[in-house]
Amino acid sequence: MRVDRKETLRYLGYRGQELDAKTSQMLEEVATELEAASSPKSIYREYDCEVSGTQIKLGGLLINSRNLAVNLKGCERAVLLAATIGRAADLMIRKYSISNMAKAAMVQAAGAAGIESYVDQIEDSIRQEANNRGYYLRPRFSPGYGDFALDYQRDIFQILECEKRIGLTLTEGNLMMPSKSVTAVIGLTTEEWKSCQMKKCSLCAKTDCEFRQEGE
Amino acid sequence: MGFRERLGRELLFFDGAMGTMLQQQGLASGELPEIWNVTKKEVILDIHRQYLDAGCDIIKANTFGANPFKVKGTDYTCEELTTQGVAVAKQAVAESGRKAYIALDIGSLGKLLEPLGELPFEEAYEAFKPMCIAGEQAGADLCLIETMNDTYEIKAAVLAAKENTSLPIVVTMVFDECGKLLTGADMEAAVAMLEGLKVDALGLNCGFGPDVMKTFLPRLREVTSLPIVVNPNAGLPVVVDGRTCFQVSPQEFAGIMEEIAQDGVSVMGGCCGTTPAHIHALVEQCKNILPMELTDKNRSVVSSYTHAVVLNQRPKIIGERINPTGKSRFKQALRDNDLEYIYKEALTQQDKGAHILDVNVGLPEIDEVEMMRSVVTGLQGITDLPLQIDTSDSTAMEVALRLYNGKPLLNSVNGKQESMDAVFPLAAKYGAMVVCLTLDEHGIPDTAEGRIKIAEKMIAEATRYGIAKKDLLIDTLTMTISTGQENAKITLDALYHVRHVLGVHTTLGVSNISFGLPQRERVNTAFFTMALAQGLSAGIINPNSEAMMAAYHAYCALNGSDSQCTDYINIYSQQTEQPKTAVKSGEIGLFDAVVRGLAESSYQAAKKELETKEPLAVIDEELIPALDKVGQGFEKKTVFLPQLLMSADAAKAGFDAIKEHLQAKGDTSASKGTIVIATVKGDIHDIGKNIVKVLLENYGFQVIDLGKDVPPETVVETARQNQVKLVGLSALMTTTVANMEITIQMLKKELPDCKVMVGGAVLTQTYADMIGADFYSKDAMGSVRYANELFQV
Repeated sequence: MRVDRKETLRYLGYRGQELDAKTSQMLEEVATELEAASSPKSIYREYDCEVSGTQIKLGGLLINSRNLAVNLKGCERAVLLAATIGRAADLMIRKYSISNMAKAAMVQAAGAAGIESYVDQIEDSIRQEANNRGYYLRPRFSPGYGDFALDYQRDIFQILECEKRIGLTLTEGNLMMPSKSVTAVIGLTTEEWKSCQMKKCSLCAKTDCEFRQEGE
Repeated sequence: MGFRERLGRELLFFDGAMGTMLQQQGLASGELPEIWNVTKKEVILDIHRQYLDAGCDIIKANTFGANPFKVKGTDYTCEELTTQGVAVAKQAVAESGRKAYIALDIGSLGKLLEPLGELPFEEAYEAFKPMCIAGEQAGADLCLIETMNDTYEIKAAVLAAKENTSLPIVVTMVFDECGKLLTGADMEAAVAMLEGLKVDALGLNCGFGPDVMKTFLPRLREVTSLPIVVNPNAGLPVVVDGRTCFQVSPQEFAGIMEEIAQDGVSVMGGCCGTTPAHIHALVEQCKNILPMELTDKNRSVVSSYTHAVVLNQRPKIIGERINPTGKSRFKQALRDNDLEYIYKEALTQQDKGAHILDVNVGLPEIDEVEMMRSVVTGLQGITDLPLQIDTSDSTAMEVALRLYNGKPLLNSVNGKQESMDAVFPLAAKYGAMVVCLTLDEHGIPDTAEGRIKIAEKMIAEATRYGIAKKDLLIDTLTMTISTGQENAKITLDALYHVRHVLGVHTTLGVSNISFGLPQRERVNTAFFTMALAQGLSAGIINPNSEAMMAAYHAYCALNGSDSQCTDYINIYSQQTEQPKTAVKSGEIGLFDAVVRGLAESSYQAAKKELETKEPLAVIDEELIPALDKVGQGFEKKTVFLPQLLMSADAAKAGFDAIKEHLQAKGDTSASKGTIVIATVKGDIHDIGKNIVKVLLENYGFQVIDLGKDVPPETVVETARQNQVKLVGLSALMTTTVANMEITIQMLKKELPDCKVMVGGAVLTQTYADMIGADFYSKDAMGSVRYANELFQV
């Protein structure tokens, strides 16, 4: 796993302020420590996919979500994916929350950047393999996006055996632990033009978000 | 013959996968396989039968996931599914007419334990307990705790099996390609803990095929004295058409397993993807091979949840700073339940190079047992160093030994019969290495011979409990030379004899030597070096003392344990520049130190200012203006978050200097006001809340931090008890904002005068208004502004 320094800065709210040597050195230290300590793991499986109305059937899993249905429209197959960069980020955040809050915030941001790039990397290999079979990928879509309820985490975790295979667990409130983790559905379609580069942000209701990315 | 008698004397064979076989029979993904013990008993029976026909010696009952968490929501209890699973296995054995053992199969609970997860250790223990009891009652011959990836969960399972059954215990774990568990534990750490807990055999299962597992085994053989079990998958899982497949054929599997058997193991079988055909091939190919010869590796080792620390030629440092003796600030922290102060001591010592941390939190006026419980749990969430549990309270001792995630070091037992009767059983049960003080009913002998005699007595007594010499760490007691100059020689002579004649590792509380003398560090370092030369295995010292650490590193270079002086050179070749920067940083004023985020300089500058100024003036004229400057910069976006936080930490260091100053004068400062903050129920994200806390504290507020996942009732109750005017709530997820709303409603109803400010990633002003919050803070500085307005009446 690689931590993208620029992305980390973005998550930290960096908007071109003066970046003093001390801060950038600290960021480098944190990112390097996190890269060395993390052990990213992932698991994914591919299923038949049927969409009718707001109903999605993914293998044996039934999902009701309008947003996901839109995302998967025209996909005959879809991949269920779970990935985590492991416990190191959470442990480092705990540690640095005691001794150095700036570093704690940096781990938080570096971890977010780390899991994103790790999932991108997994997605690339899924894409490559899918392209070989004439499929194109839709943008990945996670429980919690739009009206795709977080409750589906339970099902995804059971189907993918996340706890046993990659050490990823769910809390009572369906949050993932280790926290720097992603679950997602990725639709596979034979129609290339539909695999557009729609940003996930465009579906989110928090329009005043500092981190919102639109139309890039 | 029982399983225990045959284990290690002949090669025994486990069966193969159950899950894979059940999937072939139509088990849906996500369906709990253990339900089939009741609903499709014939299928389970038939699978057992096939494995028995394949020639295995042990079959795993279909109970892997029958724990209370996983059966929740089904029509069955944990006991029912466990009992039925073992009963079906028993029936299969009876019908086959073969001699085979039944393993009660125990898998992971599927929940993450504290401190990272939500599950407390004792609840994990309680979840395993009914399985163990039901399994033994139903007739299991052994307990197999398998597919484990967290030593803490393993410990809960092993204790549940040990305390509630008399079954032999076998533990197999899943190591990743780096040879580590998912929790980061290496093989040595896991082995140290399991040998301490006296399991009967240990090994590997799942994760990989036999080819990869084969590469892990040399390391395992090197570190364990126990029989080794190997249950690999039939290769790595390959996903074909949405189904997981394993592609190593029976012949291929048996071929590699034969190589493994030739290299030495005690029990072998299969995990995911293996079938009766694999086991048949395995048994046929390996049945005439002898098991690995068991040898005592005789390692003196303690471990944390990640790694082991081995006592050997290279002496180790035990950090002594977590101890209230003679430290008023530390005592105050214990009285105030200021655990953060204690944790900071831990992190500093780790940074300075300690290998093990002594933990003493005893103070007459506090509840030591509860404090020990909190501190040991908390420390295991922030430092991966092994802990030395230092208490004379046997209840606190047992609480800590139980909660400790690894093989602990216990401080201490002495030669009094009463002490040995109390401590040795605990050390034996939890597999601790134990510090033995050479004193007894007659006090501390004033001759080396006297202390050696007590050491010998203690070694003999420990043996009665099955505690070997390798698990003792004898302290020949440092007495100050200011009351008797021969004291150093007595201690060192006894130490030499213990280490080199009795062959037992040694420890000393080094700094006692100089008690009552000026410039104590000078004497301490000299004595430390002398003790190391006499055979000190682990010195209890202050790692924050550069002189002591220098003596240590120099000694390791001299005695050859620091190979090619690598560490010495690494540490000291870069230190030439340091004096310069120290001088430079000393010149920075408090205001600048805070603005530039230099914690150490801020602390020093504040101390200097306090020599001439009143504490309040230092706060009002330097600290607060500096914080304001940075805070405004943050709001104008000329300063970004890490810089704000560095300044906050620097300000905190300045405030620490003021606190110490006031405490020395017996003064306790009044705070601006008290604020309760919490991350709401269901939410586990707390970094934002922690940032708010640091900033509020900087501005002089007393903050009661309730942590994360906090029930509404707790928030209301704490706010009521402390009569606070302001509560801050944080939520990161849309789903948990609902709980925020409930908390606000409850607060408004019960404490109508209390204001509520909210923040968190998904919140907006509109959302905050909707759920009835008084203030929405879009960032941490916003909360400071609001609190200042509210309290400035």
